[in-house]
Amino acid sequence: MKALPAPLRLFGLAALALLGFFLPRLLGGSSHVYDTFGMIATFSAMSYGLDIILSDLGEISLAHTAFFATGAYAAAILSVNDGQGAWVAMAGAVLAALALALVLGMITLRTREFAFSLVTYAAAVVCMNVAANWDFLGGSDGIVGIPPLTLSIGPASFSASQPPQFWPFAYLLLLLTLYVVHRFRRSRLGQAALMVHMNPRLASMCGLAGNQVRLLVFLVSAPISALAGWLYAFQRAYVGTDLFDTYFLVLMLTGVILAGRRLLLGPLLGTALLVGQKSFFSLGAYGDKLILGTVLVGILCFCPKGLANLWRRRSHAAVEK
Amino acid sequence: MNVAQQLVNGIIIGHAYALVAVGWTLLLGAARLVNFGHGQIYMVSAFIAWWVMSTTGLPYALAVPLAILASAALGAIMQRLFLRLTLSQDLVNLMIATLGFGQILEGAAGLAFGPKPETFTSPLQAIIFTLGPVWFTAQDTLTVGATILVFLGLYLVLDRTRFGAAVRMVAEDPPLVALYGIQISHVYISIFAFEGAAVAFAAVLIAPRTPILTSMGFEQVVMTFVVVVLGGIGSVGGSYIAGLLLGLFTTFFSALVSPAYTTASIFALLIAFMVLRPGKLAASGNFAR
Repeated sequence: MKALPAPLRLFGLAALALLGFFLPRLLGGSSHVYDTFGMIATFSAMSYGLDIILSDLGEISLAHTAFFATGAYAAAILSVNDGQGAWVAMAGAVLAALALALVLGMITLRTREFAFSLVTYAAAVVCMNVAANWDFLGGSDGIVGIPPLTLSIGPASFSASQPPQFWPFAYLLLLLTLYVVHRFRRSRLGQAALMVHMNPRLASMCGLAGNQVRLLVFLVSAPISALAGWLYAFQRAYVGTDLFDTYFLVLMLTGVILAGRRLLLGPLLGTALLVGQKSFFSLGAYGDKLILGTVLVGILCFCPKGLANLWRRRSHAAVEK
Repeated sequence: MNVAQQLVNGIIIGHAYALVAVGWTLLLGAARLVNFGHGQIYMVSAFIAWWVMSTTGLPYALAVPLAILASAALGAIMQRLFLRLTLSQDLVNLMIATLGFGQILEGAAGLAFGPKPETFTSPLQAIIFTLGPVWFTAQDTLTVGATILVFLGLYLVLDRTRFGAAVRMVAEDPPLVALYGIQISHVYISIFAFEGAAVAFAAVLIAPRTPILTSMGFEQVVMTFVVVVLGGIGSVGGSYIAGLLLGLFTTFFSALVSPAYTTASIFALLIAFMVLRPGKLAASGNFAR
């Protein structure tokens, strides 16, 4: 396929983005549809945080539920306990996630593969324990009564309490995330991450400090998941220790893997399929867990490169015929 | 504080930790594999024992082998499913797949057994020994004795038998072992079956102490991981000692400081260990690419 000229491509992207925005309305526009779309946007933003680590750095971070929860808890504490606005809560979410990522990044700096995954997993369990026992974080009851999301830009103020009003915010966050991930992959850091992943020796011969690259990528990735958490806190109006549930972790992992790694729209498509199932064809909490696990295991066992690869393989076969 | 009693509690809990972790020691040490579904197999084993006892009325002594058999089969099925990933040494995908398998088990257990906490009891819990200021149950004695036997058995099998040699060879160089004529897929499946059986054995001995919940698998992996790492990855004797020390540490930590932050304190311990003795966990060890 030949690349389109830049202005045409920009126009195409804008049209696509606009179509995406009106998609829930085209699908009936009920509150349930908007709610589902808001969830898809929020959870795929969360997944993109993990996507950078998994697809570009080649490691599995199991601490991204903790970053997601950190964003949500920061938003809840700042807006409920301190009465701050959503912008301040957003800054708090990003800063808190950066701090946690810095600590975790330093701890895991020299670990690789399963050691990295296990330490990040243990860190997530510890964060959940701390959240469940520390009164400052609401203990096991969590924090309730988060006010509706209100963002003011200059004199204009946008508020959301119902799913249809919420959708633009979630959609904007998703577009922003997509832009950041796209830019990241083309950036010096993104290229360095891939090189450190694919060929660490070559990377170090090229003068790249592997550990520094890993830490920086970790610091880029954490705020992405935290921002999703920030939005989710307002969406749900309460935060609790259920944010650490492995369900979110497996949702993120499956979302990234289902469509295919290192595809810009991969996590969005994967998450859309999974959240769509949960929202429209739910089999109850346990049934949904069962489906999620089965999808993850099935993909890894039969098509580890993702559904997109299956389709690509078929079209290659067709060309060869 | 009754120091002697805490000491006894610590020893019992320490053996329990070691027994839960013994399957992982083999898995990680000998086969270089991890299993994030470990905690969920623990949970499922406890529920199978509970279900057998509450629906069929079979005694505890029969529920134990049934749960162990079922979980050994579960471990074997799991590895059979993942065989392609294991044989291609696709460890990243394998790790995620075990996490997904754990999610399947949790969902299925929730559907089958419901969300309520359940309890099942062993008749040995009612038999109490008192020695001066300390007391413990016959179940505790069984847990300690069984742990010692399992560790001894594993050590002997790994060190003295042909099969043990095959397991150690597979850890070093799977393709070479295959050339030598050993069916490495059988070795991998056996290792996973052992992992399932061992964690099931631990579950049926330990789970009667507390109510069981289908969500309890999440935290189980952490303690196991710390035991295996502190024990020096793959060292059978090391895991035993690490489990014992960890049991004493958590008992005294929760008695003296705070029971709520025990997991956090264990994590702090792990980090201190990783900083002081990076060894096998660091990039320079066997596990680096």
